[in-house]
Amino acid sequence: MTNDLMLLLPLIIIGAGAILLMLTSAFEKLNNEVTAYGSAIIFAVAFLVQLSACISGNAVIFSEAFNGILVVSNFSKAAGLIILACGFFTTLSSQTYFKQNNFCTPEYYSLTVFAASGMLLLTMAQELITVFIALEIMSLAIYILVGYDRKNVISTEAVLKYLILGAFAGAFFTMGTAFIYGATASTKFIKISQFIASHGFSQSPAIIGGSFFILVAFLFKAAAFPFHAWVIDVYEGASAPITGYMATALKAAIFTVFANFLVLDGTLQAGWIKYLFYIAVFTMFVGNLIAIGQQSLKRMLAASGIVHTGYLLIALVAVDSNAFTGSVIAYYLAAYAAGTLGIFAALSYLGGAGEKRKNFDDFKGLAKARPYSAAAISIFLLSMAGIPPTAGFMGKFYIITSAIEAGQIALAVLGIISSIISMWYYLRLIINMYFYEAEEQFNESVPSQSAPICTFVLVICVFAISLYPIAI
Amino acid sequence: MFEHVLSVIIFLPILAGLLLLVTPASRTIARVSGLIISLATLVLSLDLYANFSATGHLEFVEYIPWIQSLGVSYHLGIDGISLFILMAGSVLLPMVYLVFTTKEKGYYANLLIVQGAMAGAVCAADMILFYVFWEVMLLPVFFMLGLYGGPKRLPATLKITLYTIAGSLLMLAAIVYLGVSYHAQFNEWNFAISKMAQLNLTGRVAAVAFFGFMIAFAIKIPLFPFHTWLPDAYTEAPTATTFVLSAIMAKIGVYGVIRFVVPVFDEQFARFAILLAYSGVIGMMYCGLAAIAQKDFKRMLAFSSASHMGIIALGVFCMNMQALTGTIYQIVAHATSTGVLFLFAGILEDRTNTRTIDDLGGIAAKAPVFALFFAIAMLASVGLPGTSGFIGEFMIILGAIKFNTVIGVLAGTSLIIGVCYMLWMFQRVFFEKSNANSENFKDLSLVEGLTFLPVIILIIVMGIYPQPFLSKITPSVALQFSQNPPVIAQTVTTNALLPELTIEQK
Repeated sequence: MTNDLMLLLPLIIIGAGAILLMLTSAFEKLNNEVTAYGSAIIFAVAFLVQLSACISGNAVIFSEAFNGILVVSNFSKAAGLIILACGFFTTLSSQTYFKQNNFCTPEYYSLTVFAASGMLLLTMAQELITVFIALEIMSLAIYILVGYDRKNVISTEAVLKYLILGAFAGAFFTMGTAFIYGATASTKFIKISQFIASHGFSQSPAIIGGSFFILVAFLFKAAAFPFHAWVIDVYEGASAPITGYMATALKAAIFTVFANFLVLDGTLQAGWIKYLFYIAVFTMFVGNLIAIGQQSLKRMLAASGIVHTGYLLIALVAVDSNAFTGSVIAYYLAAYAAGTLGIFAALSYLGGAGEKRKNFDDFKGLAKARPYSAAAISIFLLSMAGIPPTAGFMGKFYIITSAIEAGQIALAVLGIISSIISMWYYLRLIINMYFYEAEEQFNESVPSQSAPICTFVLVICVFAISLYPIAI
Repeated sequence: MFEHVLSVIIFLPILAGLLLLVTPASRTIARVSGLIISLATLVLSLDLYANFSATGHLEFVEYIPWIQSLGVSYHLGIDGISLFILMAGSVLLPMVYLVFTTKEKGYYANLLIVQGAMAGAVCAADMILFYVFWEVMLLPVFFMLGLYGGPKRLPATLKITLYTIAGSLLMLAAIVYLGVSYHAQFNEWNFAISKMAQLNLTGRVAAVAFFGFMIAFAIKIPLFPFHTWLPDAYTEAPTATTFVLSAIMAKIGVYGVIRFVVPVFDEQFARFAILLAYSGVIGMMYCGLAAIAQKDFKRMLAFSSASHMGIIALGVFCMNMQALTGTIYQIVAHATSTGVLFLFAGILEDRTNTRTIDDLGGIAAKAPVFALFFAIAMLASVGLPGTSGFIGEFMIILGAIKFNTVIGVLAGTSLIIGVCYMLWMFQRVFFEKSNANSENFKDLSLVEGLTFLPVIILIIVMGIYPQPFLSKITPSVALQFSQNPPVIAQTVTTNALLPELTIEQK
């Protein structure tokens, strides 16, 4: 029992912190500012606890809690670290963001922490009902956060779209769970894996159908083709810090549970891999096609998020279900999170009141007025484009290596071609920032220092992560 | 001198450049510190050159494991091939700070970064490390071209960047493919360049990987038909960038072919050598003919540079010792002559505010020193005996005739084209009657003259007495051909396409 609690300590801290923040905001004890810092502290404490578990906990690779419902592996620990770090940077950027936008209440931060608790649970869950509960804890909080600006039409449209489609995905997931339970009489991953091992994957229609529905739900949440259409509008409607949060932490949580589910059994993985291959290819190229035409920065980043989902799917196709460590996926998630969060942190303070700067053209000449911010954004963009010596390059290198190692040479080459295409829209922003004369002065004072500091720390992260070696 | 001299040569300029970028230094401080750093690098490189013992193997090796599970390491070292490209960069780049004194801070800072990155690419003995420096090399060029280039700089910037990145990403896939193949064949992860020669690569995927490397390098060199970015980029770029691109960066493309493609893909290389050699010859003649027609002297020099790169690349494709030695020699000779010519073109443009050949004339009478220096560099570029250009081109053509008579003859004729456009341009710009643009042309100042003098002397010394240079090159080149003799020899007998192919063994 103590062991269970120790393993879950970061989750407990986050959950208790979320409830505490909810209570203080219900009784109006704390103002926005203090709540922002409070939630950041909760994330920081949970991150440090998780980090100490990562450093000391290498002796036991698989640690179960609650009779195998939750499993803490190195992969889930790494994903947890990414999620907690994302939460930390999101709350701090939000603090600056809400100096220029006025729809904030303390509940905002409480919901951010609640979403993180769902995500953390999701990384550890090895049982379908728990996955569903975690998915819903996370999604409900995110729905509210997306539509937090209630007077904004675009925001309201975004939340409606996301809510309805997300509810569908949730329904698909429960349907899949029911199918699988019907066939195996269990919702635990370990029991399902034993059942498939003894009965075979292709023999049971219920297993095939059930895993299909579950994969649909995951692909929807991860914004993969053909379930990607919601992403663009939802990312545009949400506030900049929340968009960053969704693009990074949510994706990290989903890909963790996705990978954990997929590696249940070799035959299950083998059965879906050829479809995932095409989904990965289409996700990359459709994302690129959408991104090329965008004028709005947030929409471009949303589309580029789809492309990165495609790269992560390459890593999923290449995983070896017998010796699964998830290190490549975790590394790519961390590298991608650092770059994406950095851009959204920068947008949080550069966007201006009511996010008035949102198009490529609005950032023309930024390098002259704010050279450090422009340099930071360029570094993030180069990292997302996979140019060395940034973390994004190493992530891409690991993914390509694992794909070629798994014999998926075509997929690796298609991934490369896709990243050549994606250079265009990343370079476009750099060109706008550096090679054009400024159309405006960018001279409003930065309302608070926390988002700029986040940006700076994330620049360091982008380089630091690239030096951190992993084993494939 | 001390243990990590290569690392210092690489990272001193990079760190100094980054420091200049993040601090609000004035342009004078930027120029002076850039000059000091690049001179310090020159001193270190000269020391390196003096201590280089020409064993043929990597020297001054530094090795620090990085990603141990994949065998990726921070692994540096130089041999006779890389030494000369490193030296070319170290010797030539300080000149920019002395000649162009009024540029902006970012100009000098980016120049420092590109210098360090190029040194890194040349010294890297690990494929991933090479790739990192190879890409970093492009970023300062991107910013210099976009920020300080001519009026039509944006399309040129996009063209060179997308072109180069497309090539290098394909190369990344090929690099990873080599690493994975090594893992599959030797059950050990390794990305060291020297280990890859042991690989036994056959089949279609190997051919694809071969072209992955070859296209990346062909774009950088640039080899016909991947040269279309070159005229725009060279013309629109500020002088220092054109200088860096033509004098050193293009050479790193050739270096890549020598270092990666020849030893690793020996079989594919032997198969496609004739194709590549023809593409080198065609590029050479085509760019030479295009150079004759140019009205803009910078653009003419750009085509001339592309034409010469064709012959340098041809030396690699001939696969024998004379040609390869000639290539390395010609790399240095071309770096000095064309590099200096581009700097002269920059001076000419700064002082007359025009790049059109017809607007100029009679400069020789106004500026005799400038005209003399220009003439020496130009004659070296066309390969006049007694200048550095002659030795290299002579050896390459010798090797080319040995490889394939048709190619050798074509390579020989294209030299005549080179003489045509160069001398005709010289006649129109420096002789004939002076006009309004060239009326008040100032000769080189003392500082400028002294800056160029060492390089001009080097051009002549290299042309008259090449032995000290050749003795450092030959061991590495010989080693290049002794690595995998059985495979190449076998290819000769089985490949009906190449009856005249001769392989030298020491």
